[in-house]
Amino acid sequence: MAVYCAALFGFLYLPLGVMCVFSFNDARRNVVWRGFTLKWYKALFHDAELMSAMLTSLELAATAAVIAAILGMLASYAMVKHKPFRARGAYDALLNVPLMMPEVALGVGILTFLVRAGYELDFTALACSHALICLPYTVAAVRARLISLQESSLEDAAMDLGATEWQAFVKVTLPLAMPAIISGALLSFTVSFQDFVTSFFVAGIGIVTMPIKIYSMMKFGVTPEINALSVCLLLATFLLIGLNAAFAVRPDEASRH
Amino acid sequence: MTQIDRALSWLLGGRKPAASHLLLAPASLWLIFLLVIPAGGLIILSFAKNGPYGAIVWEFGLHNYARAFDPKYLPVLLRTLGFAGATTVLCLVLGYPLAYFLTFRAGRWRNALLVGLMVPFWSSCLVAYYSWMIVLGKEGLINTALLRAGFLSAPIGFLYTPFAILLGLVYFYLPFTVLPLYASLEKMPRSVVEAAYDLGAGRWTAFLKITLPLSLPGVVAGCVLTFIPCLGDFLTVEILGGPRYYLLGNLISNQFMMAQDWPFGSALTSLLLAGLVGGLWLYQRWEKA
Repeated sequence: MAVYCAALFGFLYLPLGVMCVFSFNDARRNVVWRGFTLKWYKALFHDAELMSAMLTSLELAATAAVIAAILGMLASYAMVKHKPFRARGAYDALLNVPLMMPEVALGVGILTFLVRAGYELDFTALACSHALICLPYTVAAVRARLISLQESSLEDAAMDLGATEWQAFVKVTLPLAMPAIISGALLSFTVSFQDFVTSFFVAGIGIVTMPIKIYSMMKFGVTPEINALSVCLLLATFLLIGLNAAFAVRPDEASRH
Repeated sequence: MTQIDRALSWLLGGRKPAASHLLLAPASLWLIFLLVIPAGGLIILSFAKNGPYGAIVWEFGLHNYARAFDPKYLPVLLRTLGFAGATTVLCLVLGYPLAYFLTFRAGRWRNALLVGLMVPFWSSCLVAYYSWMIVLGKEGLINTALLRAGFLSAPIGFLYTPFAILLGLVYFYLPFTVLPLYASLEKMPRSVVEAAYDLGAGRWTAFLKITLPLSLPGVVAGCVLTFIPCLGDFLTVEILGGPRYYLLGNLISNQFMMAQDWPFGSALTSLLLAGLVGGLWLYQRWEKA
């Protein structure tokens, strides 16, 4: 059984590993090893179009992550801290819809709506669409944290000592919820940075994100430059997931505060 | 206490429903304008007619839906169901032993393996499929290796076949099946299995009579979470399949990006959403029963 699972993990990682190896291969078209080189990586940094796609993607992911973090924080605060109100169940259900909605449907829906409304597809539209996809992730992260803080009743203590709700929020709740907000924002950043399908539909003609750039390069077949680029993207993902793991709230942590 | 402080405290205190709605307003704005209205718009548009040059003629009828089921497009719908079903079954068969291993045998490696399972999912789908192109292509790893070893005289075209599509789908959706399975196996009390052993059950009997039935909620959840996203998959065929094997997602994309027949595309999207809602509804009913 251990062997079987190792094989399955091999299946998951084999293509990624192959890509890494051949990104260092000194051959243009072949998967035969011709010697070690870094020239494909160097070529990436001299490609102005690629660098601008990279900047666009970073800017987009940062914008979407910030929007999603703010929306998610406000929404989960109301869901957790406020006394139960009517329609809470409806909000709850609606907040999870972007997660289940097929991205193709989301993409063509937003595209149709914006075009019919006469709105020109621009960076703002794309960033807002990405924020929508990211929203469920931030809500999940922040909400879990707020629930565990609820049990420690630190906010109640602050208010017993004379703080207003606003003061308790700024001095107690917000700092304690911050790791979860950051963790949610990092997940959002990852989701937005790699999103292809939504961008494919919603990005106007002038906006080229990194995945869109890779896709258009792929149309011309496998090249070592794309290998190198994909490896960079993969490394960025590992970094983000690692950072997220550092910020994520562990279940046992809540009781320690 | 200043005026602002009092207003903000009212908002955060949430003793009135209005405060709750106000805090939820920004998120609702996003959901309404980018999700509810677009989806509603697509459904309305799906009853309209396509005019020349992609213009929309507001004559309402069911013709777009009739067209989706005519012999030209019906195979696409059936193929989508087929691929989604096959992927679900394969993921389940391949993933169950993995989930079992992670729960009962992995020991201290468990968390590392769980993260490891998620990494290909978190890494871009595009990158993952691209790396399969390197492995499967005519000048790819497998073909080159087999040719060099003398097993083949001409390269096999693995790419752009149903095999490549299925491989891509299973590759990407495997974690969607494994994680719910793992969650339900994890919840199962170990003592029940031990009781079965004590009462003389063998490993297989204990598995078939105790573990498997108790993990059924996970099996169903895993199937739903694999099947439904598969119905709307777009990228797999776009990269590993090609136009001969278009699935629903590709057909939809084509109507919007190439054919400029938005009403027909909307009808197809509405069908996809109907499949999604229907699937989730069935799942909820099963869960309650």
